[in-house]
Amino acid sequence: MRLELGKIHIKDVQFGAETKVEAGVLYVNEEAIRKLVLEDERIIGCRVELAHPGESCRITPVKDVLEPRVKVSGGGEIFPGALNKVGQVGSGRTHCLDGACVVTVGKIVGFQEGVIDMSGPAADYCPFSKTQNVCVVIEPKDGLETHDYEQAGRMVGLKVANYLGEFARDLEPDEVVVYETKPLLEQIAEYPDLPKVGYLHMLQSQGLLHDTFYYGVDAKTFIPTLMYPTEIMDGAIVSGNCVAPCDKVTTYHHFHNPVIEDLYKHHGKDLNFVGVILTNENVFLADKERCSDMVAKLAKYIGLDGILITEEGYGNPDTDLMMNCRKVQQAGVDVVLITDEFPGRDGKSLSLADACNEADALASCGNGNVVIHFPPMDRLIGMTDYIEMQIGGWAGCKNDDGSFDAEIQIIIASTIANGFNKLAARGY
Amino acid sequence: MGYTVVTNNVRCRDRYEGEYDVVYNEDWTYLEVLLQVRNLVQDGAKLITHPMAGSLKPNQTPFRSVVVGTYSMEDKEPWEDVMLIENSIDSCQKFLRGRPLPNWPEDIKKDCRTLDLSFIEGAMARAPRCPGTTE
Amino acid sequence: MDKIRVVHYINNFFAGIGGEEKADIPPEIRPGTVGPGLALQQGLGDEFEVVATAICGDSHFGANLEEDTAKLLDMIAEYKPQLFVAGPAFNAGRYGVACGTMAKAVEEKLGIPVVTGMYVENPGVDMFRKDLFIIATGDSAADMRKSMPKMAALAKKLAKGEEVLGPSVEGYHERGIRVNYFADVRGSERGIQMLLKKMAKQPFETEYPMPVFDRVPPAPPVTDMKHAKIAVVTSGGIVPQGNPDHIESSSATKWGLYSIEGMDHMDKKDFMTIHGGYDRAFVTEDPDLVVPLDVLRELEKEGEFGELANYFITTTGTGTSTGNAKRFGEEFVPKLLEDNITAVILTST
Repeated sequence: MRLELGKIHIKDVQFGAETKVEAGVLYVNEEAIRKLVLEDERIIGCRVELAHPGESCRITPVKDVLEPRVKVSGGGEIFPGALNKVGQVGSGRTHCLDGACVVTVGKIVGFQEGVIDMSGPAADYCPFSKTQNVCVVIEPKDGLETHDYEQAGRMVGLKVANYLGEFARDLEPDEVVVYETKPLLEQIAEYPDLPKVGYLHMLQSQGLLHDTFYYGVDAKTFIPTLMYPTEIMDGAIVSGNCVAPCDKVTTYHHFHNPVIEDLYKHHGKDLNFVGVILTNENVFLADKERCSDMVAKLAKYIGLDGILITEEGYGNPDTDLMMNCRKVQQAGVDVVLITDEFPGRDGKSLSLADACNEADALASCGNGNVVIHFPPMDRLIGMTDYIEMQIGGWAGCKNDDGSFDAEIQIIIASTIANGFNKLAARGY
Repeated sequence: MGYTVVTNNVRCRDRYEGEYDVVYNEDWTYLEVLLQVRNLVQDGAKLITHPMAGSLKPNQTPFRSVVVGTYSMEDKEPWEDVMLIENSIDSCQKFLRGRPLPNWPEDIKKDCRTLDLSFIEGAMARAPRCPGTTE
Repeated sequence: MDKIRVVHYINNFFAGIGGEEKADIPPEIRPGTVGPGLALQQGLGDEFEVVATAICGDSHFGANLEEDTAKLLDMIAEYKPQLFVAGPAFNAGRYGVACGTMAKAVEEKLGIPVVTGMYVENPGVDMFRKDLFIIATGDSAADMRKSMPKMAALAKKLAKGEEVLGPSVEGYHERGIRVNYFADVRGSERGIQMLLKKMAKQPFETEYPMPVFDRVPPAPPVTDMKHAKIAVVTSGGIVPQGNPDHIESSSATKWGLYSIEGMDHMDKKDFMTIHGGYDRAFVTEDPDLVVPLDVLRELEKEGEFGELANYFITTTGTGTSTGNAKRFGEEFVPKLLEDNITAVILTST
């Protein structure tokens, strides 16, 4: 599959009478977005607010972050099976509004979601402190069942990202990046002397607010499968989880999977990137055995010399991470793990809930238990009523002026366990 | 032959009572549920669901449900289950040492119960109805 | 400006009081520097003053851990120190444990910065690395010249509240504390570079060394108990009266094998406990609590199992390094195999 990703650089976002992109500025028509969101009768209120890097502005509780994209050619539509019609994606031309993000905000379950600060110390930890954000603040109908509300909130993000992406369809991109992975035999033949490298992408799949969807299929119901790396760039994977803001893989991060992006940078130079294996992180232990067996089988089957593995979450997924690592390494494929750490407040406890001897190569995405100070902000998008209950906060952590102390795990994607950030931890 | 659900979540009890054995005590803490599970594992029960299902850490949710099998799965080392429950207990104690569980208001407890049940429902929807057999 | 007040802790040997034969001297404190305290004072410089030196024999400290710690704490507190330095203990195990114990106690009770120093194999390193800054030293006092300046330099930083850098810069044993930093390149790229090295069989460095658990899978169950020959092995410190082989009460370096032939229980006339990690009162009264010979004899008579070995194997578990513990096993297991022992009951305390 060969995908041309046309990037339209967005330097600013403003309200406008009509939605359009002009000279690197995204203008959004609030009313159009409101109308779109309120089509769903489960949602009774919707407000659009804009946030720019450097502003004294705090966004919370954040549900998901998405990049506006549109499928220009090559078949299929963005978010296949989740929002648009199911259809194969990953080839042809896709446009994105690079630098702009849709941020869905609103209460779901009291303590679930995270914080984005557009300036101050917390901004160093958050990738979305540096993007032009269109924040969609939603209010659910009274008494809406949790599962329904999660689903409605997820659809809001997809719809708005899809809506804004449509305005990129006819624009001339500022930059076109070409990604290509050939059918396995051809791909292997193209660089016969380079080590064959794959990527095992573990998708969160534990239940409500912990689910991920592949072409609309709930990941906990599939068995490990192969994916062309370019499929993910057209929205084949959609995030439906909110828990633990710091290591949440947002839908934005699926578009911009750093392992896939960086493997493409090395592709043809010092390695041959042959493909992606998808697996899940199920609660049912027999699934863990079954799926890790299959992962090892697939890795060997497609002839890999090495593989990178990333996980999403802590605890239960650590068991999958170690099972995958052990079985793949024992099958003769070299493994490197990428993950974040939770060694407790003093940093002295074990970082992961599981371990194995084969896990001898690990890149750290940082210690999520570190406490930092969040100063007061002039503007608030959403509400801070729940800060003390959100993950990373605690009773009494918030002050009257709106400032608070919290562990960095309250910041969206601060320690995201796929290596997107430069944050890392080392032993002292 | 069947499953045993060890839980301090009333919703989980209500969902599975009659279908499986349910060991329920609303006064148990998260850690106490894990300790109950450890007792069963030490007596030979197999873990069916992961003791730390969900990303909510033990100092973030009061509720925990774990399913164990009341049969012996011969192709599996009991050692693995013992280590898994011991690691989970260690990890649980680590988080509680760092910061205690807040005293959540009832609406948040309700959400925690819903999430906990969802983890078990997702898993048990995938478990054979009669353990040890394939459907 | 007043000088920053420092108290130094050393053992009898470094205080020049004598060697092993004087290792049982009780706690004392003297004003000013003693022995290596001079090098410490030089390293710290004019802004600091070593106001007192606390001294204790290692055996005395090991045998009276709680009492001696409390006594020394009181003595040290009287000098109102703002900084506490212990050792260095090099590779002396009991001295290392004493330095670690005192440094930890002073830090907790007096709330002042503490530094000690030990050789990597000193059991005190593993016991206290998470709690303390332990400067990595050589394995003998010959390294004093090099170690003391490092300890002094780190102690100065701590006393002044300056930022302490990583273990390789400051020279302390890695404490296993995970500290965040921003790397030059993102995690995914670092992971790829690591993988390229790993595939090419080149050396690479993981960013999180996995905890190493020397896990031993349990042996299969005994199928024929009626004919099984059982032996007792304990880390509970039960030895014949008088401790003939001088097994240490903590940080053991040896084990012993003692006869129970013809005995129907562990009589306090014959056996005692030397274990330094629990309240010995009950076990002293009834050693059967740790080596349950009384019930084993009953079960043997009732035919629950075939036969009890006519000896038990013993050591002290508290503070004993995993390296030594592993060696003990390697040493006595051949004996058990040779005697056709079917199964062993391990009792701990």
